[in-house]
Amino acid sequence: MTVVPQKVTRTRTFLSLAGIVLLAALSGRVLAQQNAAAPTAAPPPQVTFNRDVAPILYRSCARCHRPGEAGPFSLLTYPDAKSHARQIAALTKSRFMPPWLPAEGALKFADELRLSEDEITRIQAWVEQGTAEGNPADLPPKPSVVEGWQLGKPDVIVTATKPYALPASGSDNYWNFVFRTPVDRSRWLKAMEIRPGDKRLVHHANVLVDRQQNGRRLESEPGAGFGGMELTIESEAFDPDSHFLFWKPGSIPYAEPDGMALRLGKDTDLILNTHLQPSGKPETIQPTLGLYFTDKPATKHPILLQLENDRLLDIPPGEKHFVVTDEFTLPVDVDLLAIYPHAHYLGKDLQAIAKFPDGRSETLIHIPDWNLNWQAVYRYSQPVKLAKGTAISMKFVYDNSDDNVRNPNSPPQRVAAGNRAVDEMAHLWLQVLPASAADAKTDPRAEILEAMTRHNLQKNPEDFEAHYNLAALLMRRGEVEKAIAQFAEANRIRPNEPTVNNAYGAALLATGQTEESIPHLTAALNERPDYFDARYNLGNALASLGDFRGALAQFQAAVRINPEDANAEANLGSAFAEIGDTKQARLHYLRALQLNPNHELAKENLQQLSGNPSPH
Amino acid sequence: MVALCLGAAPFISAVPQGFASDLDGKPFDPFRAAQGKVVVLIFVRTDCPVSNRYAPAIQQLSAKNAGKAVFFLIYPSKRETADSIRKHDREFGYRLAALRDPQHILVKESQAQITPEAAVFDANRRLVYHGRIDNLYEDFGHARKSATTHELADAIEAAIAGKKLTANATPAVGCYISDLE
Repeated sequence: MTVVPQKVTRTRTFLSLAGIVLLAALSGRVLAQQNAAAPTAAPPPQVTFNRDVAPILYRSCARCHRPGEAGPFSLLTYPDAKSHARQIAALTKSRFMPPWLPAEGALKFADELRLSEDEITRIQAWVEQGTAEGNPADLPPKPSVVEGWQLGKPDVIVTATKPYALPASGSDNYWNFVFRTPVDRSRWLKAMEIRPGDKRLVHHANVLVDRQQNGRRLESEPGAGFGGMELTIESEAFDPDSHFLFWKPGSIPYAEPDGMALRLGKDTDLILNTHLQPSGKPETIQPTLGLYFTDKPATKHPILLQLENDRLLDIPPGEKHFVVTDEFTLPVDVDLLAIYPHAHYLGKDLQAIAKFPDGRSETLIHIPDWNLNWQAVYRYSQPVKLAKGTAISMKFVYDNSDDNVRNPNSPPQRVAAGNRAVDEMAHLWLQVLPASAADAKTDPRAEILEAMTRHNLQKNPEDFEAHYNLAALLMRRGEVEKAIAQFAEANRIRPNEPTVNNAYGAALLATGQTEESIPHLTAALNERPDYFDARYNLGNALASLGDFRGALAQFQAAVRINPEDANAEANLGSAFAEIGDTKQARLHYLRALQLNPNHELAKENLQQLSGNPSPH
Repeated sequence: MVALCLGAAPFISAVPQGFASDLDGKPFDPFRAAQGKVVVLIFVRTDCPVSNRYAPAIQQLSAKNAGKAVFFLIYPSKRETADSIRKHDREFGYRLAALRDPQHILVKESQAQITPEAAVFDANRRLVYHGRIDNLYEDFGHARKSATTHELADAIEAAIAGKKLTANATPAVGCYISDLE
């Protein structure tokens, strides 16, 4: 009779995204009252607030040091500045303020907050000379402030369902808020303003795009949120989360250029990963997101590359200079847009270098004194061209001795890779836009991802995610036999992973290894009974073997899980037809056609049932 | 009973010219009020995030030494009003007597330079310790997960027991008191 249509299930890739960090409080250290360092350049005869200092504060400090922002006090007026003059002099001299970790290099970042030597010298001179106010005519206009939403009224505003209660005391705290399906259809997101709540408590926040609602499964009750510093998000292959959605104090919301919008599906959740610091009194945090949409769909598809070598992280107690490296060679030309180095509290010196095919090299970023509390995504002021064959290398140095006051263990303990604040990480994320040739037959993103997964397997042949992702890439290319070998490896490493069991079963089914597919599809369902794709695939497998009653049960279950799927309805109709219940068969074919009026197999089968063989 | 409601307690002559005051604006001498107990002065500022973060620890330490040492919060800023201090203390759960010291009488006697900074005086009004509360902050941006040394607690214990301290001053990390002028 009819052929049951087979649908190979969607496959997924696992991206472990680092979300992370921070806290730093404004502090000063009293040494001696006299200021030892003489200014290196001769200052003007009299340094004044109005002429010399206000322009520095307005440009580099006022973004946070104004009412309602993250700075603990304002620096907009002469009395404000005078009241904190010694603090300003000490903290700018030590370069603790403004917070900017990267050393000055040939490549420039957008919104660099670093003060020049001359600016620092001017502030020192102003304080040493007695903090004169100067001529009012010299005072520049106050920095303009956009009140409320920085990019105008958002198209959609979502607020966390439940506030989080932050205790008055204790160490750093990491909390994740899950924002549910803020759209009723697929939309293109061009910008997002993250309002984390009290900016003095939130040192930084990251938004992760969760297309599979992984975050919800971690909540004790809907909307409650969940704790944890680092998250692993499962995402569909070839729609990798390609954008950094990052907030730190002073962040200015950023609109993606045309063609680089982020797809937000109907069932997409947004997870806000926040790093909070107790203030001394109990606080509640209830963040809000403002979403801005565009009608222009994405035509450019940046991806996030990850260099890492967590496997080498096994740092003995007392070790002051533990080095972790990784190197990846680009298989295609790319534009590097942004970079995000990430380590925890033992990280000391973080560096990334590009070695070009012609032998030249360039420092992509160098952070000589890493401070997790000020971590950030750094966006280049101009895209950095990296040609095919360029080797990107990372070198991270860790200090697990008592000399590192941020060491979470006292006395120091052996530290390995992990998601907790007391564990370590060695991650370097790069947002790149692959250049695609007009005649390109392959998606350059797929080439990069394949090179990346093969690189990961070289580093670690037991890398579960790499085996799985490589299998998904091979499936996409139609190389099913090779994909099956990779699925088998992933399945060997994590036998109970439902996503792998389903995809592995689907691949076996696609090559006619029906009997072999059934144990994997069954295992997927044992682990996750409401797994629609696995129900559907198992129904197809049983139908292929002639077990139509078994198939019927699976399709019925599939339709209960997802009543909107035309294929499942059509197959349910076919299963009824096979056991002779034409009335039910007709009903489900009609339902399939309701869901998709162009469903050819449902049409065809319905005609057959009615005794009118299809013209095909 | 700690005599916090002495009203117009006359300041004693050992205090340099000027005086600290309670939040009603009346001159107030913490040493007289302590009636011979150990006196702990904690210098704080409402807009200093470092001293604010210490609020729970300060409150706990005073509760632990109740009856043996008397704690006072000292606000050295001219700009901070009695109302803003009351509001701040309520928010942060402080139940200690708060004094304003805009003329820096207690600041000078305690050799305090930073908020938060502590000063411990023995029963004879001798300054036996001044400096940081503990080593949570090592420097700007260099904070430990939790403190590993507790200088103030050690100093109070020694002062109560009448023992000599090995170190009677450690630099504090926080906001400069001198900036207030």
